Amino acid sequence: MWTTDQRNRLALEHQILQREGFSQFGVYYDRTYDSYYASGVATSSSGRHYSLYSPIPSGFPTQRPPLYVIDPNPLLKADGTAIWRLGVSHAMHTLTPHDKGWVQICHWRDARWHSGIVLQKVFLKALIWIEAYEQHLATGRDLADFVRTMAEAA
Amino acid sequence: MSTNDPVQRQMIREAMQAVAQRKPGRSKLVYDKTKRTIVAVAEGAQAPQALNITADDADMFGVVTVSSAWLREKWPELTKAGFLRVAFSSWDDGDALTQSELCVQASPTTVRGTFLLDQNTVEKGKELAILLEPTEASGSKQSVFVSTDGTAYRGQIVQPIDPSFQSSDIVFADVEPQLALRRSGILETTILKDKTVLCIGLGTGGAHVVVELAKCGIGRFLLVDRDRLSVGNVMRHPGGISQVGRSKVNVVRNLILEKNPNARVDVHPVDVGFDNRDLVAELVRASDIVVCGTDNQQSKLLINELCVTANVTALYGGASRRAQGGRILRVYPKRSACYQCFVAAMPEDASDVEISSADDASEIAYSDRPVAVEPGLSLDVLPIANLMAKLALLELIADKSSTLNTLKRDFDAPWYLWLNRVEPGTQYADWPPLSESRDEMTICRWYGIYFDRDEACPVCGDFVASLAASYGLDPSLLPALPDKE
Repeated sequence: MWTTDQRNRLALEHQILQREGFSQFGVYYDRTYDSYYASGVATSSSGRHYSLYSPIPSGFPTQRPPLYVIDPNPLLKADGTAIWRLGVSHAMHTLTPHDKGWVQICHWRDARWHSGIVLQKVFLKALIWIEAYEQHLATGRDLADFVRTMAEAA
Repeated sequence: MSTNDPVQRQMIREAMQAVAQRKPGRSKLVYDKTKRTIVAVAEGAQAPQALNITADDADMFGVVTVSSAWLREKWPELTKAGFLRVAFSSWDDGDALTQSELCVQASPTTVRGTFLLDQNTVEKGKELAILLEPTEASGSKQSVFVSTDGTAYRGQIVQPIDPSFQSSDIVFADVEPQLALRRSGILETTILKDKTVLCIGLGTGGAHVVVELAKCGIGRFLLVDRDRLSVGNVMRHPGGISQVGRSKVNVVRNLILEKNPNARVDVHPVDVGFDNRDLVAELVRASDIVVCGTDNQQSKLLINELCVTANVTALYGGASRRAQGGRILRVYPKRSACYQCFVAAMPEDASDVEISSADDASEIAYSDRPVAVEPGLSLDVLPIANLMAKLALLELIADKSSTLNTLKRDFDAPWYLWLNRVEPGTQYADWPPLSESRDEMTICRWYGIYFDRDEACPVCGDFVASLAASYGLDPSLLPALPDKE
């Protein structure tokens, strides 16, 4: 299923994460299902932990990898409601949630993603999203008030 | 004298046919003001009280159109049995009968008929009877059928069944040669019959491109689009209101066959996505060129990857928001910049797409931040589609002799930019008026823009080696990935 180019790319993605100070994240191989995923625990500046999970799609890197917050679950808004209920939300910068209620962080929209974007940047955007999320919790203002719309180029 | 006079009627017919064919005849038609009727007079005769009849007035007889190729194929059957059944689509209250085999889309009304070689075999009944009589092969070629043994025949209705068919002309349509004749002088080659075009996305632009290519004689089309034609599409799409609800691939297949009946058209009413990349990859490999008419970025990137892998030239065209302008990228795999190179180099241009439907809008909108549907006008999309068709044609004629080959000197850039109008607040706002420009860029002109392929492109270059080198890594020595945690 996976091409040599894809395997080489994922191996390189893992090395970049390890060498560039993102060693809390990694790319892993699941032999049982012959699948790949990137995951790790992000720690915010306030010391809170968030488990992130990105199943690598079969079309990677041309196909955009989704990135979910799998813990805490459900991830709550400042008003106590679950973020996943918002669906695709500009206010919270989220995309379609996982069936299990995991919030999907909008790191790049499909219309902006391309294969030149590396996972290191995806996790960097996740870290920014988490900081903005905590600002949302503290102020009640939209998460979008704290991050620019993900329109910038890779 | 009345127009029921057989001699005068024959003269009128010959004169009208001469007028209709823009050829001088032995007689001409006039309206005789004193007799208050139409008469035929000798060409050159002075008729001071008469009004000349023009070509616009000449089309008063009905036409029965028969496929010459079909009749030649059935000729052994006709000569053996002495008759041959045929069916016609009847148009305009019987003014035109078109043999069903010629009709991509049939008329609601069908007229049944029979070809005969002997008038004595006419069966009294409800069927139109057309007698084929040997003739000297002269006059209009369209009125003469040449059988497989080389004998020329004319057709004559001997049992009209309806008064409106009484005077109809029998026209024999030799479709392929007659269509090729109209292309001769520009496209001398028949190589296009063996060429295959894959078109992904059959909106206004994509549909227009393939129909134009069909007119040029391209022989095979592979069409991919998941959508159905909606009422809103009709404002711009070549498909019409009577096609609403049908799959766009089927609508466009019919449009192609209307222009090139011998084309082979395979349709795939599917989405282009990673779930069916094997199907799309197979179609790409079967193509001589890929025309990408979709505005979906992920689809374009997938098509780009598959085309580069299969070494198939691709054209990516699209209109910008409200069809203010448009652009076309031509990709020679690993020789020119690919679509990934373009997206990485010019992300703003790549994402400036026309939002022509609710589906397009939903792909880039958030639930709490809708995106307005802002379609452009058809007339602003067609310049882009026209150039796409021309660029595709240039690739397909390759190095074969054609007047069009001179265009290869002009269209050698990888990227083409077109602007329909200057809109305030855009990067083009400072462009001078067309009438005042000298060397500056203006609206309604094509600009070829040169930019280099990215040697480190993830699709057409060696991204992994380049990226690894930038981190001081040897890509051949990367350790295996850790197993699941």
